[in-house]
Amino acid sequence: MKNNLYALSLTLLLAACASQGQKSADIEQRDLFDQQQAQRQQAAKTQDADRQAKIAKEQEELKRQLDEQQRRQQAQNDQAIVKPLPGTGVGGSQLKGDAWAQLKEPGSALAKRSVYYEYNRYEIKEEYVPVIEAHGKFLMDHNDLKIAVQGNCDDRGSREYNLALGQRRADSVKRAMVLLGVGEKQIETVSFGAEKPVAFGQDEESWAKNRRADIVYPNEPQ
Amino acid sequence: MSTFIPIHRLVSWSAAAALLLCMICGRAAAAPIAIEIIGGGANQIPITVVPFANEDRFAQRMAQIISADLQRSGLFKLGSIGSARPLPAEPSEINYRYWKGEGAETMVIGSVSEKTDGHAEVRFRLMDVAKQSQVLGFSYTVSVPQLRMTAHKIADMIYEKLTGDAGVFATKICYVTKNENRFELQVADADGFNSDFILAHREPIISPQWSPDGTRIAYVSFERRKPIVFVHNLLDGTRTVLANFEGSNSAPSWSPDGKKLAIVLTKDGTSNLYLIGADGTGLSRLTSNQAIDTEPSFSPDGKFILFTSDRAGSPQIYRMRADGQGEAERLTFEGSYNVTPRYSPDGKSFIFIHREEGHFNVAVQDIATRQMQILTAGSLDQSPTFAPNGKMILYASETKGRGILAAVSSDGRIKQKITAQSGDIREPAWGPLPNNRRKE
Repeated sequence: MKNNLYALSLTLLLAACASQGQKSADIEQRDLFDQQQAQRQQAAKTQDADRQAKIAKEQEELKRQLDEQQRRQQAQNDQAIVKPLPGTGVGGSQLKGDAWAQLKEPGSALAKRSVYYEYNRYEIKEEYVPVIEAHGKFLMDHNDLKIAVQGNCDDRGSREYNLALGQRRADSVKRAMVLLGVGEKQIETVSFGAEKPVAFGQDEESWAKNRRADIVYPNEPQ
Repeated sequence: MSTFIPIHRLVSWSAAAALLLCMICGRAAAAPIAIEIIGGGANQIPITVVPFANEDRFAQRMAQIISADLQRSGLFKLGSIGSARPLPAEPSEINYRYWKGEGAETMVIGSVSEKTDGHAEVRFRLMDVAKQSQVLGFSYTVSVPQLRMTAHKIADMIYEKLTGDAGVFATKICYVTKNENRFELQVADADGFNSDFILAHREPIISPQWSPDGTRIAYVSFERRKPIVFVHNLLDGTRTVLANFEGSNSAPSWSPDGKKLAIVLTKDGTSNLYLIGADGTGLSRLTSNQAIDTEPSFSPDGKFILFTSDRAGSPQIYRMRADGQGEAERLTFEGSYNVTPRYSPDGKSFIFIHREEGHFNVAVQDIATRQMQILTAGSLDQSPTFAPNGKMILYASETKGRGILAAVSSDGRIKQKITAQSGDIREPAWGPLPNNRRKE
């Protein structure tokens, strides 16, 4: 879904850019038109039929360019409606609908996707071991499936140190899963440091929510 | 990737389009920032800045800008301009007895006159009232839009003459603003005027650092969904990817000659320090251990690098040789959280963030004596940056849940608060002295 949104917003941006291009073409056309009038007067004076033909040709070319641009923009717009079909595969794996359902089973360890940490620490707390074991087993059962682990921190102290700490948090989850037997290549880690908080208060409750690693299955149906 | 390639060739089509769009709508919304001064130096130098003759014919009023600069430093006490008119613009027009009566000790006088082709001539003199003599006197012919920067340069000369330190009024700063989900990397004059963004994105931007010659800014952008280091050329607006290795790429710090940067990569495991050429070539590894090593800061002579490491269990500040030889030496021992070291311009001390009783504050430590002093009293201070004369420190702070910038003098006496009109303002970096450009 995230990827989907990303693609959509990029497409919108592209469309916006295309319309920017269109605007400047409009201006160009007006300029040319003024020129054309002046030239036409000139042509009437000198009876220069060649020049007139050339202008007509230029105009035709401009119209063709505009049409082309419109067609391209239309194509962009069409692209904006295209949606990837969810549930058909992740990282090359053909996950069946019931496997996705298994991930979402209410109350199960698989439905839990976040591991929370103490302040300035990256060791996995006892209570999150079942979560990591459940996802580890799931990844071993589907060994061509790939996940991302995203490390986060509360926003106190140093942004750069937090970026490094977030990386260690993500890596701690990866290492624990690899120890269980998950393939290294199945897990990609990334740190967002303190840059992507989910809670915004300046209190322990918010900070605790932000000190976490998220297990993300790309393309998982919502 | 060895030269500065125009952006559209370097980044992918879509990213370039997004960026272009951001740049197109850039100029309009430059939110000005407000600076509030708290406290002042122990011995303020009295100075009387007389409005320059004809200055009110221009949008930028010279005496006003010079006065504001001097006052903001906290080191000057502005004198009254009395009631006698006309005001003097040349030494021969000064009635010294009258000005002595007004309490003036040093006076700034001058004039602005219009020249052809949108230029103006600025004449200024710094006068010693007791000695009835000129201390400084210069004339500048500049284009009218340059009047503001000329006023800053005059304020710099006055500051340097009367305090013995280089003035920093004609320098630039950069910082990141966050409004809703829009991040902007802004460049502004040191007084917050003329702000304009050089990059805007929905993804975060952190750790901007000026090149020693002030023509480039290195920063970390999350625009590709992971931290990548870019170098942005301010002269032509182009930028290049400096480091985009597997994992995280961050914490750029320029070497004093501007030819290399120390950066932090996780491509070989945990966060470690690396050196890379400013053109993105010649990567070499500086540290290799299982702990976090991050936030490098080059010494002004280029021989050492300060950095943060948790190799002893808690984040502390260490110093190593810039060639990677020898053992790193631990410098901080007070408290369990000391991060973000930044060398002072003279290389004798460093500033950093120190946590004590849950408060995060800017502290300064002398390298030789290891004497430490806490300079600020906020609770969530971050990202300190030295003014290039070493007299002021700009840093990020927080008030009522909003990110603001604040400044403190290196002796802790003078404090300033800088707020954006809306949203958060953070990650400040103070640019070099204008004449640093000649060094490279």
